[in-house]
Amino acid sequence: MAIVAAGVVTPVGLDLDAFWSGLLAGADGLSAIERFPTGDLRVGRGGEIKKLPPVALPVRSRAAALLVAAAADLTARTPLDAAPERIGLVVGTALGGVEELEHALASDGGAHRALDGLYDSPAHALAAWLGVRGPVLTVSSACASGATALGVGADLLAEDAVDLVVAGGYDTLCRFVMRGFDALRSLTRDRVRPFDRRRTGLLLGEAAGLVLLARERDARGPRLGRLLGHGSASDASHVAAPDAEGRGLEAAIRAALVAGDTGVDDLDFVSAHGTGTVLNDRIETAVLKRVLGARADAVPVNSIKGALGHTMGAAATLEAIMCLLAARDGWVPPTVGYEEADPACDLDYVPAACRAMRPRRMLSTSLGFGGCNAALVLEGVA
Amino acid sequence: MTPPGVRLEAVGLLTGWGRGVAALPADACAAAAGRAVIPLARPQLDGQRFRRATRECLLGVAAVHAMLEDAGLDREAIRGPGTALVFVTAAAYGASNVEWLAGHAGTLHFPYTAPSVLPGEVAIEFGVTGPYVILIGGPTATVDGLWQAGRLVANAQCERALVLAVETFEECAALWRRARWTLPRPLVESAACALIGAGEVAATYSARAEASPLAREIEARAGQTLACAPLGALALARVAGASTALVSGMWRGRTAGVELAIAAQPARV
Repeated sequence: MAIVAAGVVTPVGLDLDAFWSGLLAGADGLSAIERFPTGDLRVGRGGEIKKLPPVALPVRSRAAALLVAAAADLTARTPLDAAPERIGLVVGTALGGVEELEHALASDGGAHRALDGLYDSPAHALAAWLGVRGPVLTVSSACASGATALGVGADLLAEDAVDLVVAGGYDTLCRFVMRGFDALRSLTRDRVRPFDRRRTGLLLGEAAGLVLLARERDARGPRLGRLLGHGSASDASHVAAPDAEGRGLEAAIRAALVAGDTGVDDLDFVSAHGTGTVLNDRIETAVLKRVLGARADAVPVNSIKGALGHTMGAAATLEAIMCLLAARDGWVPPTVGYEEADPACDLDYVPAACRAMRPRRMLSTSLGFGGCNAALVLEGVA
Repeated sequence: MTPPGVRLEAVGLLTGWGRGVAALPADACAAAAGRAVIPLARPQLDGQRFRRATRECLLGVAAVHAMLEDAGLDREAIRGPGTALVFVTAAAYGASNVEWLAGHAGTLHFPYTAPSVLPGEVAIEFGVTGPYVILIGGPTATVDGLWQAGRLVANAQCERALVLAVETFEECAALWRRARWTLPRPLVESAACALIGAGEVAATYSARAEASPLAREIEARAGQTLACAPLGALALARVAGASTALVSGMWRGRTAGVELAIAAQPARV
C-alpha cells in the first residue's frame, strides 16, 4: 500500500516539518507537565504539547483536538481525493476519550459528555471533522495500537472496501495515565535513556500521527513510501509485562516480514519500541538479534522515545513516519538519551547525532499491555 | 492447501438473560419490565491467577468456554500460534476506568483499565498466541472484527480465529442513563465468542449495509448488547440450522455487514 502523506502534532513539533527537524536535531520534548496537577506523583514530567495549533482549539476533547491537529497537517499536504463514503478512518489509541470520562463523572453533563468517554469517540469526532463517511475503526492494542491501525487500514484497501484510508494513532497525557504509570513505578526521574546502561524507565508523552494510505495503483503524485507488511501476535504470558523471551514480538516481526515479502537481508534499519525500561529494551534487543541473525551488528536501531516520551497509541505511527522521512532525506535520527552501552543491549543504537544513511526497507516494532505485539515493514522512496 | 473461504464453526453466548439463545426472551423490552440494565454475574472460575482479574475479564474467559462447549472441542484445540484473537467492545473497559478514577483501586489494578487486558487474560488462559486485533465500538466494530478474523484465516495467517465480545454496564449505569436518548433500553450485559475456521466460501464484507433480519431479531430478543449483538445474531442463525448468516451492525450512524457460511457439522479446526 502506498503511504501518500503524513501529518502530526507532537511535543517536538506541531507539524511534520517541525517534528522531523526536531528529531534530527536531537530535540528534547520532555518537560514539567503544566496542564494538570502532578504534585502528588513521584514524577511530573512528560512530553506535553504546550500549545495546540489554532485549528484544534475549538475541539471539546483534547484527544479529538490532537487528531484534528494532525489531520489538518495531513490534509494541508494532500487532498482526500475520493468520495466521502469511500474514505476510511482507522485510528489507534491506548486511552481513547478517558479524560472526558473523568470530566463526565465530575459533572452532570448530558449525553454527549457521557459518550465522549468512550474510546471510539475521538475517531468519530475526527471523521466528522474530515467529512469521512466510510468505515471508522478504533484499534486499542495499547501501545501497539498505532501499528495495528495502519495494518487494518491497509486491509480495508486490500478488501476494496474503500479507496483511501486515513490511519494512525493518538493519545493524550492526562492524570488518569500519569497516576497509573507513576503507581507502577515505570516512570523515570532521570531522562529517558533507551538501551542505555543507566536506563531507569519511561516518560509518557502526547501526540497524534496520521498517514494517508492508498492502493499503489490509485496513488497519484509524490508519496512518502509503502507499507509492505504488518503482523501482530499475542504474548499470552502476562497482562502488563512483556514476555520474558519476547516470543510474541518475534512472531509479530516474522509475520510482518512474510506479509511484506521481505527477507532479513533486505532490512536496512529498525525503529524499535525502545521505551527505556530495563526489561523492554533487553528483551527487544534479544529478539532483534534472533531475527536479524548475522546481520544484527550491521542494522542500525533507534528509538525516538527519548525525544518525545512514550506517546502510547501515537508511538508506532510516529515511528513509521520517522522511518519514511529517514528514507526520503537520507538521515536517521539519533536515540536521544543513549550514552553508555549496556552489555545486554549491544546493537548499533544510533548514538549522539543523526546519521547520514538512506534506509530503503525498514522494520518498526511495538509492544503494549495485554501482551500486544505488532510490527510493520516499510519501504521508503528516495 | 488452505481453502480461500471461511465459516462459523461455533459460537458461545452468555447474556443477562442466561446462557445461549434458549434463554433469550421473545421481547427484551417487555421482559426487562422497566429495568435499565440486565446484569450478568461474575463467573466463578477456579484459579489463583484470576484473583485480580475483573468481572469483564472473567466474562471473556467464560464466553470462550461456552464456545468450546458449543464446538465440542477441548481447550487444547485453540492453543498456540494457529489461533488468532479478535476482541471487540464498546464499553467493557468502563468499569475498570471508573474504579481507577474513583481512587479506590490498588496499583495493580491500573493495567486492567486498558481494553487490551481483557483479551490478554483470555490469551493467557487458553494459550492463544496468534494474530491479535482489538477493536473498540458497537455492533459495527464486531462486524469489522468478523471480517478481520475471516481475512486472517482466508490468508492463512492463522488456522482459526476467535472473535470475542464483552459488554458490561452496571458500574457505569449512571453515565448510560444520561445517554438514554441515544441508546434504547434495556442494556443487557453480554459476553460472546465465535470460532471462525477455514471453509469453502469467502466471507462477504460490506462497509455499508442495511439492518439484516438477524440484527433486528437479536435486538428485539436480547435488547442492547452492543458489540455482542452480531455474535448473538450468529448464534440465532446457528441454532436455526442456517447454512449462511448475514449479520449487520449500526453504531454512531455507521453500518457494516458481513455474510458468513455456517458449519453444519461439529467443528473441525
